[in-house]
Amino acid sequence: MKGKILLLVVIAVVLGLAIAGCAEKKPSETPTPTPAKKETPVSTPTPAPTQPQVEKVVVGGTLSLSGKFANEGKLSLWGIQAALKWINDVHGGVNVGGKKVKLEFKYYDDESKKETVQSFYERLVTVDKADVLLAPYSSGLTLAAAPIAEKYGKLYVSHGGASDRIFEQGYEYVVQVLSPASKYQSGALDLIKSIDPSAKRVALIYEDNEFAKSVFRGAKEHAEELGFEVVFDKTYPKNPTDLTPLLSEMKAANPDIVLGGGHFADGQLLVTQMADLKVNAKFISIIVAPALPKFYEALGTRAEGIAGPGQWEIGVKYSPEAAKQAGLEYYGPTQEEFLKYFHEVAGEDVQPDYHAAEAAGAILAIAKAIDTAGTTDSKALRDTFSKLEFMTFFGNFKIDPQTGKQVGHEMVLFQWQGGKKVIIWPPEAATGEPYYPIPTWEEKEQGKLATK
Amino acid sequence: MPFLEQLAGNLIYGAILGAVYGLATMGLSQIFGVLKIVNVGHGAFIMLGAFTAYWMFTLYSINPMLSIPIALVIGLSMGLAVFYTVIRRLIGAPELSSLLATFGIGIFLEELAKFFWGPDHRGYTWNIGSVNLSITLIPYSKLLAFGMSIIIALILYSIFQKTRIGTAIRAVVEDREGAMVCGVNVTRIYALSFAIGIGLTVMSGVLVTLFVPVGINPYMGGEYTLKAFVIAVLGGLSSPWGAFVGGFIFGLLENGSYTILSLFPNVEPFSLTRFVAFSVLLIILLVKPTGLMGGEGE
Repeated sequence: MKGKILLLVVIAVVLGLAIAGCAEKKPSETPTPTPAKKETPVSTPTPAPTQPQVEKVVVGGTLSLSGKFANEGKLSLWGIQAALKWINDVHGGVNVGGKKVKLEFKYYDDESKKETVQSFYERLVTVDKADVLLAPYSSGLTLAAAPIAEKYGKLYVSHGGASDRIFEQGYEYVVQVLSPASKYQSGALDLIKSIDPSAKRVALIYEDNEFAKSVFRGAKEHAEELGFEVVFDKTYPKNPTDLTPLLSEMKAANPDIVLGGGHFADGQLLVTQMADLKVNAKFISIIVAPALPKFYEALGTRAEGIAGPGQWEIGVKYSPEAAKQAGLEYYGPTQEEFLKYFHEVAGEDVQPDYHAAEAAGAILAIAKAIDTAGTTDSKALRDTFSKLEFMTFFGNFKIDPQTGKQVGHEMVLFQWQGGKKVIIWPPEAATGEPYYPIPTWEEKEQGKLATK
Repeated sequence: MPFLEQLAGNLIYGAILGAVYGLATMGLSQIFGVLKIVNVGHGAFIMLGAFTAYWMFTLYSINPMLSIPIALVIGLSMGLAVFYTVIRRLIGAPELSSLLATFGIGIFLEELAKFFWGPDHRGYTWNIGSVNLSITLIPYSKLLAFGMSIIIALILYSIFQKTRIGTAIRAVVEDREGAMVCGVNVTRIYALSFAIGIGLTVMSGVLVTLFVPVGINPYMGGEYTLKAFVIAVLGGLSSPWGAFVGGFIFGLLENGSYTILSLFPNVEPFSLTRFVAFSVLLIILLVKPTGLMGGEGE
């Protein structure tokens, strides 16, 4: 009896939801034709494009505000909000058909899950009428939702999908703003090559995921091009609790340089356990984890000398003056202005990291393309993107016209020195000298810092 | 010989990790054994334990060893609170209700932790030196985690075997009605068992951070929930001792199989260790479907 009642209740709820869903969909679809009709007389005098008058441009996307990318998602949102402040309040909006309109960002929380992104992107296009799509964070999620963008022919701008594989699928509307994964560890190798020709033995130790594999495939190729010898190249599965077996084998390979990482937790674990097992190397560069201040807080002096690549760091020298020197147009807020807007939305005590900057960079690129093309038509925007070359506070923008892969933007390499992140590569962006070779774990236990 | 040295080193670490796994699973088995409720929100309580150790260490410089009793008290009181608000209503209810309820509690705790502490990955460094075994180095903090896991498991064992409450709990497990007839307050035994289970779990969260002092974040529990389920099944779902032994075996398998797998060319040994661990689980279940220390079947 109880079971039957429960079944009835469940059926009633499902039916109720279905009806509510239909009811919600219908009114949103019906009013759209009416304003279009009303506006036709307005648009008839202007002979050229038959585009209806637009009141605003909607950029739609999902952010990972909960789940494993919650941290990156939060920072991305703040970065986006800071960029929108400049676009709407300072720049006056984006130019569509000769008229400045507001740029709006419509988003959902994808909970860092592949399973959720596709339906949210469907919804963003069909219900929320997004004009341009901002891809979700991470390569995995970016790949998951890309088919939806292609299906509706919407421009799909990636701010956190670095994997090169995204751009090898033949997608037409995918555009990348950040440097591709294959470039992440190039800076570290270039740096070592330039300061210590005797360091030859490179070990690669990384997470078995799409993004990290792209990074280290690129690193391996680059290392071999530069004449390094890759003596260890192994992965660990996601969420490892103990890396000892891998690390003892790596220790036996006796590397000069260790390049590794994946995401936050495993990056912290990697460095802690290298310290536990006293696996010393002359230089260590880890992707993702060391970029955050929490990395240093968690590891203390063990973090000294650890380097990491970043898409952006506070202090990088991209400015209107630098753009002029490079013969490029500068678009968007200066770094100082960006920091000001960022603190307005995020609070004074939060510092933006590259996740915030790359998301802001993506929104600025979208605004720049709309400004240049004067329309939100996906085809026109994609063609505009192929030709655009400009600089924002995030760095240069230029894509490969064929694949949409970013080729203009450059990574920076930072190193933790005396509790501070110092940019050590490339030389034109550097804020300090590299500390090389880094202190050993034994020296760090005695309190030695990576400062001269 | 480097191969044997590496194998020995990995097995030592596997044993330490296994003891921590074991303790982190005992709470799950304890609750299932007595209440027949599967606590799907298990990992969230481990996360709370990890944060307890983290905050005690960073805010008050309290040695993580001293956080163990603090975590126990937090766990016991949370266990009682959750029991009297939610779990008590679920005794004898369909399994799906208790699964959903504990799942909900887990999500609630994770989101609460994120609300208060943010989603950052935190960690602490408690460096008290290490012992050099010539084949490998072992930090004392990890040895302490190993020792404490065993001591806590032994204390629990003697409580169950030697005290009146322990006898009452065992009586309820064996025959609920019979125990009731003999004057045992079954609801109170349920409450106590649930509280002990949660207390153990939160406590194991502290020990987890002794082994892995980094990557502490609101969602860290998921991985431990998964492993705890496997280990609990391996050891016989309703037996906390089985869980401890199961954890031990799982840790040894995970780390030990690496060295052997790495002898084969062109394989990624680390990805295969889980395959090996799960294969062994399957074989054990084929031979003994109730798990290593499970009873003769229900």
